[in-house]
Amino acid sequence: MAATDEVYLGYTTDEATTPFFREFLDALAEETLMKSVCTECGREYLPPREYCQDDLSKCELKEFKEREAKLYSYTIVDFAPETLSSKAPYVVGIGEFPSGLRLTAHITNLMSVPEVGMDMKLAFDEVDERLVTYKWLV
Amino acid sequence: MMARKVGVVAAGHAKFGKRLDATMRELSAEAYKPIYDAGITQDMIDATVLSYAASQFTGQGAGSALIADYLGLHDKPHLRVESACTTGTASLRAAWGMVSAGLYDTMLVLGVEQMNRVSSAKATEYMSQAGDMRWEYPYGISFPAFYALMASRYMAEYDLPHEVLSKISVKSHHYGAQNPYAHLPRTVTVEEAHNSVPITRPLNLYDCSLISDGAAAVIIAAEEKAKELTDEPMWIKGIGAGASSMMIQDRDSLTSIPGAKTAAKAAYEMAGVGPEDIDMAQVHDCFTIAELIAYEDLGFAEPGEGRELIENKEVYHDGAIPVNCDGGLKSKGHPLGATGVSMVYEIYSQMRGEAKEPSRQIDDVQIGLAHNVGQSGQFVNIFILERGW
Repeated sequence: MAATDEVYLGYTTDEATTPFFREFLDALAEETLMKSVCTECGREYLPPREYCQDDLSKCELKEFKEREAKLYSYTIVDFAPETLSSKAPYVVGIGEFPSGLRLTAHITNLMSVPEVGMDMKLAFDEVDERLVTYKWLV
Repeated sequence: MMARKVGVVAAGHAKFGKRLDATMRELSAEAYKPIYDAGITQDMIDATVLSYAASQFTGQGAGSALIADYLGLHDKPHLRVESACTTGTASLRAAWGMVSAGLYDTMLVLGVEQMNRVSSAKATEYMSQAGDMRWEYPYGISFPAFYALMASRYMAEYDLPHEVLSKISVKSHHYGAQNPYAHLPRTVTVEEAHNSVPITRPLNLYDCSLISDGAAAVIIAAEEKAKELTDEPMWIKGIGAGASSMMIQDRDSLTSIPGAKTAAKAAYEMAGVGPEDIDMAQVHDCFTIAELIAYEDLGFAEPGEGRELIENKEVYHDGAIPVNCDGGLKSKGHPLGATGVSMVYEIYSQMRGEAKEPSRQIDDVQIGLAHNVGQSGQFVNIFILERGW
């Protein structure tokens, strides 16, 4: 399954066209989440970025293996932007891993209002035949 | 060369609302007309900054040319400055720089936005595009959702019940109901505000500002010119600007806006005053949680203690630090590019005793503060303004 360079979670964005981002999406298609690490200073980024914020050196993608996180903050989106209107309500959560890195994604299996600090686990989700994304499960 | 002292010498305001009777052309004219009527005609203006935040709403690119032409300012240099919801104060900051440096003596700064030609869902879509287009927008994080992420964190860290946020909404509507320019001039109760429909939980309808059309304008002038134009100038005493990380997840804390604290520190230092010297404040209450956080970022309350200001009504017009006694973005409305200029307009009006309704006129305003935040804090401008008579 090849990751698309045009569609990401149902949204069309020109941001999805670089080789770096395509490599990230291709890894996701194999259910592998990648962080980036600066080749000069070693600073780590999640989600990944191609150039380091500190010294503007190139970063390289490396597998990010942490899966357990705490919910740092959340919102339940009842009134959505037009493109996602059909999916509302949906839940957006910022999860914080033990390493301190954070990741923003949908929480998809909630049965009640989330609580800041609750345990979450990172999982993968096949959006369609062209795309896998990451999500939170509680 | 020393920077020249700069003052606001005139101001105008269009009615905010769902203005399907107007486009940004007519709204701009509506905001400039009171200034023209006060005697500041086109030939007295050296240059302009004429700005709106989002081209998507109208499809108009390079619109300062259109606005300048419409206002009869054909031969005056013009400029558009864009920085999301701080477009208005960014325009004023740019103009202040030009006047204080001696490039021009008198400038018109006009902010405008026409948001209601598209549906609310489409407007929400456009505003969502101010988030990170790769990592946030694809998850449907709308403009209200950014502030809801702050709200849920704040409520958890400080054990804040939602009703406190509802009380901020009640205050905003109390004053908006007395403001002839307000988009939604009616009062609400705490119960109505607390129980209204969810938008981005924990925020609901009455926690959210309005999608509005409107415009506001000010004339600024260098000191000598200002004294020629009016006996009642409002001096720009301090300016601070700040910024925060693009992705909201990357901030150390979601219970304050880092750029606002930076901007406040700079503005207070430049003005030589502190929070205790501020007689009134216009703060960026795009959401009720934003107003609560502003109390703390501006130093009116300690972190986690802003709730006491609203619960004790210290932020009402007769309280210790009146805030948004024009209805704020919540009730007056939030036409993005106009908002910051409208804040300055309100301080100028209050200083002149022109709030019209005695029940919202603040007594003896000598120093006012305008706090304008863009996106979810990526842009912040703070102005400290001083009565000059």
